[in-house]
Amino acid sequence: MSLKHNLDALPGDRELVLSSSGVWEKARVVAQPRNAARLAGIKVALCIADAGVALRALCVLDGIAQQILLLSPAAHADLNISLATRAQCDAVITDDLALLAVPSECLLSVPTIESLIAARAQWNGVVGEKTRWIMTTSGTTGTPKLVSHSFASLTRSTKIDATRGLGQKWGMVYDYTRFAGMQVLLQSVCSGALLLAPNYGMALNDKLMVFSQHGCTHLSATPTFWRKITMIPNSEKLNLKQVTMGGEIADDRILSVVSARYPTSRVAHIFASTEAGVGFSVADGKAGFPESYLSSPPAGVEIRVVEDILHVRNPHVASRYLGEQTVLSQDDGWVDTGDAVSIRDGRVIFLGRASGVINVGGDKVHPEQVEQVLLSHPDVAAARVYARSNPITGALVAADIVVVDPDAEVKSIKKSVESHAASLLERHQMPVLLKVVSDFDVNAAGKLLRNDK
Amino acid sequence: MTKITETALATLILQVFQDTYQLQTGGELEAAMTHDTVLLNTGLDSLGFAILVTKLEEELDFDPFSLSKDAFYPQTFGEFVKFYHQNQPV
Repeated sequence: MSLKHNLDALPGDRELVLSSSGVWEKARVVAQPRNAARLAGIKVALCIADAGVALRALCVLDGIAQQILLLSPAAHADLNISLATRAQCDAVITDDLALLAVPSECLLSVPTIESLIAARAQWNGVVGEKTRWIMTTSGTTGTPKLVSHSFASLTRSTKIDATRGLGQKWGMVYDYTRFAGMQVLLQSVCSGALLLAPNYGMALNDKLMVFSQHGCTHLSATPTFWRKITMIPNSEKLNLKQVTMGGEIADDRILSVVSARYPTSRVAHIFASTEAGVGFSVADGKAGFPESYLSSPPAGVEIRVVEDILHVRNPHVASRYLGEQTVLSQDDGWVDTGDAVSIRDGRVIFLGRASGVINVGGDKVHPEQVEQVLLSHPDVAAARVYARSNPITGALVAADIVVVDPDAEVKSIKKSVESHAASLLERHQMPVLLKVVSDFDVNAAGKLLRNDK
Repeated sequence: MTKITETALATLILQVFQDTYQLQTGGELEAAMTHDTVLLNTGLDSLGFAILVTKLEEELDFDPFSLSKDAFYPQTFGEFVKFYHQNQPV
């Protein structure tokens, strides 16, 4: 079933998206342009900042196109061109002037879906069984990879029920072209809720203002974003019914801070990865997930722990990155998530990315683990731990922190945080350099950037 | 940037060395550091030295180990100071 058909049950006047181009009612979203069938079999890239415009294009193309590549409007035009080339796209629909201006023999750039239809009477002609949705992994390091999905695989955990979303207003803080953002977009739209989708480039305070003004009820963001959100004045005025955290490790502290800040909301953290498709959610307010999930899997996603690494099995998973030989899932369908875990007191706790490990003279340090120790200090609002190269041990641990009270005396806070950390960490895990900063960078998926220095 | 004299460097390195030593071992240096003191006999282990080099880089804004073309690790305190002095960026 295509995206468009999933909206059949909704009344035409149901408001689905509020974006910079205004309100998109269902009838406007599903409106078919003339001669849309000409696009049969096309491989098209979308690089559109406005989520309403993009949703309409997705409705037209899903079920007709052979593949849709979702490019981030926040990414540089050169990167987007190289991604479109790698995915062998015929054309790109974009509102990015830099991308439109690029002359390319093999890639046609057009501003609207109508202009794409007008450009040629026929593309590849063949209508595939289902349209591939190709998404880019955000990656906290390195160049993005392309992962193949479909509307079915992306909505696997979505309860498609047009009556559920009436009255719900979902806020979009993510880039909708990324996995987490697409989950929010599809879940909101397929349940008939209104998606409040300010452009991705807008500052977080301004996005929160939009959410507040329009009565946002559902908000999904990374723990890093939630730490920022709780520090923004008036953020407590949001009247949230559902808080979701994903994309990074949700520790006990941020879960309890957010629960206290929004007492009437249900707080859940989800485990998901672009490669594995969606995973599962945990709503008991505690970090990690119950060990019982290993034997009785939630939401039909099987989970196992192999050599301290979480593996999952999802029948709809993409089997490999596009254009690469690396096989993501083994023959039996299990996917190595790359997330290191440990089992403590009946709870499976996330330690961090296996690949993000800092090697201090042969001792492994998970930056996330050190971040959680720093965050457990009452004066620390946010923490970022990264490797600092060193001629003797190869690397050492360094950390930046944001303090709760920006006017507090830096020296005494540093001292207090250092002795707190020293009481909980091994010597090699201790940040050698601890800096107090005013803010951090996050990547397009809202995840903390841990670029090594 | 003007070069720091070897004497000034020795004083600064000794200060950072003592601070690091105290933080890492919880005690004071047993004997006074001299030109010929063998670094690995001071009681500071390799993690301690790694930390010392990073702290010095914060103080001095350079890391001679990454600037120097020689694959050289100083053995005595005197060599250590000299190594920092010789590899200062001009």
